[in-house]
Amino acid sequence: MSGRAVAVVGGVTTKWGVRSATWPELAQEVGAALFRAVPELRAEEVDSLFVGAAEPERFAFQSHVAPLAAEQMGVRPHRILQRTELACASGQSAIRSAYAAIASGLSDIAVAVGIEKMNIPSMAEANSSMGCVMDRMWDGPHGATAPPFFAMVAQRHMLEYGTTEEQLAAVSEKNHRFANSNPSAQFHEKSFPRDKLLRLPLIAPPLRLGDCSSMTDGAAAVLLVGEESARRFTDTPAWIRGTGQYSDFHNLAHSGSLTDWVGLKTASREALRRAGIGVHDLDFAEVHDCFSISEIIEYEALGLCGPGEGGRFVADGRSSIGGEIVVNPRGGLLGCGHPLGATGIGQAVEVFHQFARTVPPARQVPDPEWALVHNLSGSANVHSLMVYQRGGAA
Amino acid sequence: MSGEPPRPRRPGGALSSEPRPEETPKNPPVEPKAKPVEALPFLLDFFPLEGAKETRLSRFYERLREGRVSTTRCPRDLELHWPPRTACPKCHSEELEWTDLPEKGRIYSFSAVLAGAPLGMEAEVPYAVGLVDLEGAPLRLFGRIEGRAWNALHVGESVRLEPYALPDGRWFYRFRAAD
Ligand SMILES: [Zn+2]
Repeated sequence: MSGRAVAVVGGVTTKWGVRSATWPELAQEVGAALFRAVPELRAEEVDSLFVGAAEPERFAFQSHVAPLAAEQMGVRPHRILQRTELACASGQSAIRSAYAAIASGLSDIAVAVGIEKMNIPSMAEANSSMGCVMDRMWDGPHGATAPPFFAMVAQRHMLEYGTTEEQLAAVSEKNHRFANSNPSAQFHEKSFPRDKLLRLPLIAPPLRLGDCSSMTDGAAAVLLVGEESARRFTDTPAWIRGTGQYSDFHNLAHSGSLTDWVGLKTASREALRRAGIGVHDLDFAEVHDCFSISEIIEYEALGLCGPGEGGRFVADGRSSIGGEIVVNPRGGLLGCGHPLGATGIGQAVEVFHQFARTVPPARQVPDPEWALVHNLSGSANVHSLMVYQRGGAA
Repeated sequence: MSGEPPRPRRPGGALSSEPRPEETPKNPPVEPKAKPVEALPFLLDFFPLEGAKETRLSRFYERLREGRVSTTRCPRDLELHWPPRTACPKCHSEELEWTDLPEKGRIYSFSAVLAGAPLGMEAEVPYAVGLVDLEGAPLRLFGRIEGRAWNALHVGESVRLEPYALPDGRWFYRFRAAD
């Protein structure tokens, strides 16, 4: 890409799950973890802070969270301080904003943090908060939330291509298995035993409990710097080589083909073009498996397989270690949970540690050089992507 | 969700033209007098306020009371909108007209909420929702499907679009499957 090169040079996550901790406490926890993990970083050097947070107003009754996060984390940004909100992609939006700020010279050393507190006393109130991600005045009164929307996507994919419940379960099984080696993850294989997946309760048919990501409390943070200081922090910077985004609707009336995700095709073409690589150059991908069906369609829209072949792609092991590309080695949203604003940051943390070879061997991608991160948001109406390259020269 | 049956549709049928949204109707809308039944806090209630004081689209809700589900259309480029709008997204004209939507549609896709309903809808679980292609209009609407259990619905089957009253006097719309 043109301009100043930007890299992720450090990253941490808190434990994700149902946490006995408030939003500000999660901010303190992730701040402490970041400074422990990157001892070279002095707090006063952090000139900018980008806070990915989707719904702190609804889940923590707190607005103006950027200065709150800064105070909790012990930093005093003097260039750019802001919150980024893009529902499920709020975290990646923080990274994209930090990238743009550093590339432009406005910032030199920035932290992108994602924080979400989702488990609150009333589950029904939490469900309402998830529902207002949709067009709440028109789709909301019908009781629209994410599970029935993605269930309709799954129903169409099954109808048009013969995708099966077993293939959906193969996504869940793979990602929960990867999560076994991720102590930060909310769930592990034992929470969703393989032989029980098809007998778990239906949430929104055909989707069962194991097909759906969860309400999760958690935080994650990455450190981003310009090319001149990357080596101060790590020998294996994760260089941002490309990014792309596409949005094509909001009200569900305009969702078009539920199975052909044109927005993802468009955004990924842009991100890969900027990086100067093709999809088959990728060694691994962290994609947005908010539901099992999402990952299946993402294989197809990214061009890893043909239309309708996503179910077979995962069932045949082609997206696991030893296959053509490793998808969601971190454990995905299905395994790690989905603390909205933290998810995109957590994926970038995984990219950094995969490149640094500091993840447990069970999920280490062999010799990775190129990685892609994808988030969708809402009803898959927005797609946001980043392409990272390991080490090498700026 | 309970509610009285929809009132008969006005003669004239679908796609009849009506005054533009900002025009003051001759008979002002009847504001709901009763307080909402088991009222939710305003910011947790998905059903919108419908009066002319709260929205420039109050004609939409008035027309629901008349038994018609309608939307706006741009007379300049004939763009049919959903949801109804105050400005055309194509030419940005604010001179829009009201038009009735077709009553019949076919299910494109459906599912049901068996768990995880929003606040105030828990008692309605399980409820079916779907995307429905309207017959005779280039629109695919999302909505609740009443009238039959979710596991007896089928992709491609015919459903009817209908207004219904909420217990608190507000109105909304939904689909109904044949018995
Ligand atoms: Zn127009």
